[in-house]
Amino acid sequence: MTLFASAGAPGITSAMVDLAAAAPIATASFFASAVEVVEAFTIVLAVSVVRGARPAIIGAAAALAVLVLAVAIFGPLIAEIPIHGLQLTVGVLLLLFGLGWLRKATLRAGGVLPLHDEAAAFVNQAETLRAQASEVAAEWIAGVAAFKAVLLEGTEVVFIVLAVGAKPGLLAPSAMGAAAACILVLGAGLLIRQPLAKVPENSLKFLVGAMLSGFGVFWTSEGLGAAFPFGDWPIAGLVGLFLLCALGLATVLRRVLARSPAWT
Amino acid sequence: MDVIRALGAELWKMFAGDLFLTLGTLATVFGLALILGAHIAPAADAPYLLTAIIIGVFVAAVAMSTAREIKRKSDR
Repeated sequence: MTLFASAGAPGITSAMVDLAAAAPIATASFFASAVEVVEAFTIVLAVSVVRGARPAIIGAAAALAVLVLAVAIFGPLIAEIPIHGLQLTVGVLLLLFGLGWLRKATLRAGGVLPLHDEAAAFVNQAETLRAQASEVAAEWIAGVAAFKAVLLEGTEVVFIVLAVGAKPGLLAPSAMGAAAACILVLGAGLLIRQPLAKVPENSLKFLVGAMLSGFGVFWTSEGLGAAFPFGDWPIAGLVGLFLLCALGLATVLRRVLARSPAWT
Repeated sequence: MDVIRALGAELWKMFAGDLFLTLGTLATVFGLALILGAHIAPAADAPYLLTAIIIGVFVAAVAMSTAREIKRKSDR
């Protein structure tokens, strides 16, 4: 079954993409982007609540403009990289990125690190902004805070979209997954006008870390010229394997910490 | 300048947050490329070898981070 007609740069795109290949790409991109957008939204909302909508909107819009410009400049260059080199580079980057997320999510689920708290992040950001002295400087600093948050988290979203959609013809489903995440998170955020503290961020990081690590192993292997058998299907198995491994480790960690005298 | 510094810090945090994990992953891929280039192992085995070693590196990184956190807490 086919789904998307891609419109990417020549050389790395194909005419039609199989649903079986597009669905996991869009899903991975959706969840990974959702985590980043929630974090950026928390900061922008804090800026908006403390210093007004103007610096928040200007800062966020400026960051989005920089991101669009960066994608417009560097995006086409990807088409120039030979496919095996691209898969190897992207595979290794996905592995570094995904394993890092999975490690942190495992440590948090195991109780080694505290859980990330969007409500606390919102309060911290708001207090920092309130502590600024002069009004003009404060507005400028608030705008820069919104700019920084959107640029940093947005860079990660762009990286995820490009990395997850690096295989020929998969950039469109990857970008659509990220766009859906942005629309959903920002829509929900604007509706409730509060930090999205109820989003199960660590569970999402678990899932996304496993997904990125699974894609990373698959593409690194293809980039090395040693592809898995059965087409793209092993990706699902790899994601499941990383997920099981991380969940098992988190369970072991909880037991280890319960018996550690330093922890109790 | 502040933004560039923050972006650099974010990238550093992303890839060097756990140096063992980063270096272990890079060493695994580089080692596997050498093994495949020298025809020491058949290419058909490489995906499974890569999966096994990467999971081993991940488990070791989590164990090391936990040990580090326990030591930090007991030192306090």
